Amino acid sequence: MSNVTLRIDEHTLTAPKGSLLIQVMLDNGLSIPHFCYHEALEADGNCRMCMVEIEGQKRPQIACNTPIKEGMIVRTTTPSIMQTKRAILELELRNHPVDCPICDQAGECSLQEYYMEVGLYDAHVAKSDKIHKAKHVDLGSHVVLDQERCVLCQRCVRFVHDKAKSADLVVTGRGATSVISAVGAFTGNGYAMNVVDLCPVGALTSSDFRFAQRVWFLQSDASICHGCARGCNIHLDHHAIKGGIDTLYRLRPRKNSAVNGHFMCDTGRISYKSLNENRLLEPHVEGHATSFSHTFSLLRRTLDDKSQTIVALVSPHWSLENLASVKLFCARFEIPLFGAHEASIEPSFADEWLRVADRAPNRAGLELLGIDVSPHARDRALSRAQVVLDFGHDATLSSMSTRYYFGTHPHSDAQMQLPVAAYSEESGHLINCDNIVQHYSGSVKRSEPLLSLHALLGLLVMEGAWATQPFWHATLIDMAPSLEGRL
Amino acid sequence: MSHDLVVSARFGIANSHTLIVAQAHGAYTQLSTLLAQPPQSLVQTVIDSGLRGKGGGGAPTGAKWQLLEGQAKPRYLVVNADESEPGTFKDRHIIEHDPHLLIEGILLSCHALEAKAAYIYMRGEYRFWHDRLQSALDEAYGAGILGAHSCDITLHRGAGAYICGEKSALLESLEGYRGQPRLKPHRPEPEWLWGRATIVNNVETIASIPYILYKGAQAYRAMGTKESAGTLLFGLSGHVNRPGVYELPFGMPLLEVIETYGGGIRDGRALKAVIPGGASTPVLTAEQAKNATLSYEGMKLAGSALGTGGMIIMDESTSMVDALDNLLAFYRHESCGQCTPCREGTHWASSIVHDIARRQPRSDALPTLKNIARTINGQTICVFGPAVADVINGFLRNFPQEFA
Ligand SMILES: Cc1cc2nc3c(=O)[nH]c(=O)nc-3n(C[C@H](O)[C@H](O)[C@H](O)COP(=O)(O)O)c2cc1C
Ligand code: SF4
Ligand code: SF4
Ligand code: FES
Repeated sequence: MSNVTLRIDEHTLTAPKGSLLIQVMLDNGLSIPHFCYHEALEADGNCRMCMVEIEGQKRPQIACNTPIKEGMIVRTTTPSIMQTKRAILELELRNHPVDCPICDQAGECSLQEYYMEVGLYDAHVAKSDKIHKAKHVDLGSHVVLDQERCVLCQRCVRFVHDKAKSADLVVTGRGATSVISAVGAFTGNGYAMNVVDLCPVGALTSSDFRFAQRVWFLQSDASICHGCARGCNIHLDHHAIKGGIDTLYRLRPRKNSAVNGHFMCDTGRISYKSLNENRLLEPHVEGHATSFSHTFSLLRRTLDDKSQTIVALVSPHWSLENLASVKLFCARFEIPLFGAHEASIEPSFADEWLRVADRAPNRAGLELLGIDVSPHARDRALSRAQVVLDFGHDATLSSMSTRYYFGTHPHSDAQMQLPVAAYSEESGHLINCDNIVQHYSGSVKRSEPLLSLHALLGLLVMEGAWATQPFWHATLIDMAPSLEGRL
Repeated sequence: MSHDLVVSARFGIANSHTLIVAQAHGAYTQLSTLLAQPPQSLVQTVIDSGLRGKGGGGAPTGAKWQLLEGQAKPRYLVVNADESEPGTFKDRHIIEHDPHLLIEGILLSCHALEAKAAYIYMRGEYRFWHDRLQSALDEAYGAGILGAHSCDITLHRGAGAYICGEKSALLESLEGYRGQPRLKPHRPEPEWLWGRATIVNNVETIASIPYILYKGAQAYRAMGTKESAGTLLFGLSGHVNRPGVYELPFGMPLLEVIETYGGGIRDGRALKAVIPGGASTPVLTAEQAKNATLSYEGMKLAGSALGTGGMIIMDESTSMVDALDNLLAFYRHESCGQCTPCREGTHWASSIVHDIARRQPRSDALPTLKNIARTINGQTICVFGPAVADVINGFLRNFPQEFA
């Protein structure tokens, strides 16, 4: 598509012909107040907040329904357009309760933002004149609605209709008494909580996150959801209350047009809980907590004892770096290594949008690194194994073998357990169901020193380089040359 | 004044709504001849007739029909029978007294538009008229007038919302969604029903088609004025002695119509104000009404709009504040609530005027009201918003002393 050049206030910009003016402004970091427009949803033009002046047009136009043209001249700050925006915002706020101090959206709210930007008028409405609506409607699927705070932008309605295809949120009533309502119990076909992100104000909140933390305290990491092989891009929002432990409060989708657009499924979204809870934090031997040095010496003794038959199993839940470290580690001790193939396949989880049946985030990576996934060879080896090094594979073992387990959560049937960092606490790469290599990085800090699997194995073999990123970068390309340029 | 009756010719005939009586009085007589003509020639006749849409906007019908040129099939015709605006009650007379005229108009229009299916969207409250029209449709199907060889007509009842008379909201509603107007296209194009090119016309517009095609474009043009050809079913309501609908050629003096057809103002009182074309047109003072003529151009000259021709007459005893309060209560209730300025502005304006009517206005009531009207005007998805602004401004401009 050809590009056109246009002027917006003092900026000269170039963008593809026919792009929506509002998107061009947002992409270029220019301020344009808006409620109803959202990149992922079609223009709806209902809030009328995005008014701009366009030279040659009598009336102000909405930027969200204006395709750009060559030579277009747009003004957003003249006194008359500011007056227009102020007047519309005043109407928007007329029936709004203005209860920001007790609102969970405070700090992330478009109304607050625009009020500071264009508002600042005197209140012409007595509080007693406002229409009162329901303040707490539990719609279902962890989504709670405050009808008074709703600006009726219909983002939520359009999302369930056009994206989630569940059509279970609607506007009922009309005029100023319109409200958002759920048809039955709101499910959004398993994508319900996206409406909380879409809601530009504090009308839709998540009962899972509501009041848990003020948003301005949260630290956000760019990560990848490990809930299935789609690998939706996410923000990991976490925070350590003074002196307390660093805790994950929520996962939010992070835009990636090639993978998940702006969204993620609800199962993925609440999967963060397992990263906070019930973690394996210390080494255990025979069910008792012990020190790393004790565990390491036991482990080394086993590895050096050539009379024992040792087999290693690894799951597709690890990053490429961790998988590669397991591979190197096993090669060094000449331990046969097998990957899981059939594990974590859950056909009922798949849907027509983001969710896929493969619940593991890196099966493609496991295969690319050439880890043996044939079930026959694995089962034959397992039946003879005396010790199984279990890297999160979780296979059922015969009563004859002893399990040495490396994982993030306790294992009930392991002789030895070694705790490692979860993906929220480390960085790495994954290959998703569409063969896209993705990077995640997590900076959640636990009070206990949890090492990444690759760093832990590096300690065991006394290879300091194993803890470093450049080493794995080179090693991975060495193991799988097709990764060149994709890491 | 003597003139042809385009849509009300059979109104006075007993049982004119039945097929047998309608046929005895000329219905469907030239149908097969006309259906044998090439569609484009029918469109040309409609263009030549100068017919303008009678749903309030007055858009030239022929030019609108031409928007279908080159559009893929199937195409649809949708007949707007939502008639929900205060002061407008003409379409239901056609449906009550001559439903076969409408059916014949649809058949001819569908042929001209090369549409095989038509939908009639009828106001939910029009139960009686719905049943009447359905019986006529059943009769037409029974007689083979409708069906396989011509086109199919489906009658659909709305759920009772004024906004569903707005054509794109109507189509949303017909598709099964909430009746909310769609964003206007950037250049002229047809409407879209289930993604197919569609024409929406008012009941009376379509009911005018048989006359035009039977008698020719010139016969229609011979009535009315140059810019407003033909006739309209004018409605008279309010403080007149004989409220009702009267089919008249365009261009008659407003006061003459009130006198001659409406029988003058009730109780011999003086005229105070007229809302000339359905609630959404700006109110005129008696003075402005004096020289006004009932045509699109005449009403514009007088400072209002012809709209649907449904006149609301108010005598000297009327409180203009109460009248506006009453109108705004309607708009407040009927705003679909989609756009912020209309949703909130209509509600706010209504409560301000209600406060004035109760003599308890805030000190800034008038400037606030004017600001609201300014904010609603031209900043909404459909023209409901600007119409409300026009209504408010008309009252404030023409009767300032009553709002002071
Ligand atoms: C709020 C609103 C309500 C309307 N209601 C009606 C109606 O009840 N009947 C109607 O024919 N047109 C109505 N219209 C006009 C229609 O949008 C449309 O212009 C008309 O049906 C086209 O037909 P015509 O060209 O034959 O007049 C309404 C428009 C608006 C903005
Ligand atoms: S709940 Fe939020 S997203 Fe939905 S219409 Fe209201 S403000 Fe918009
Ligand atoms: S102007 Fe009013 S009636 Fe029209 S779309 Fe907007 S809110 Fe609905
Ligand atoms: S963002 Fe443009 S009208 Fe809402």
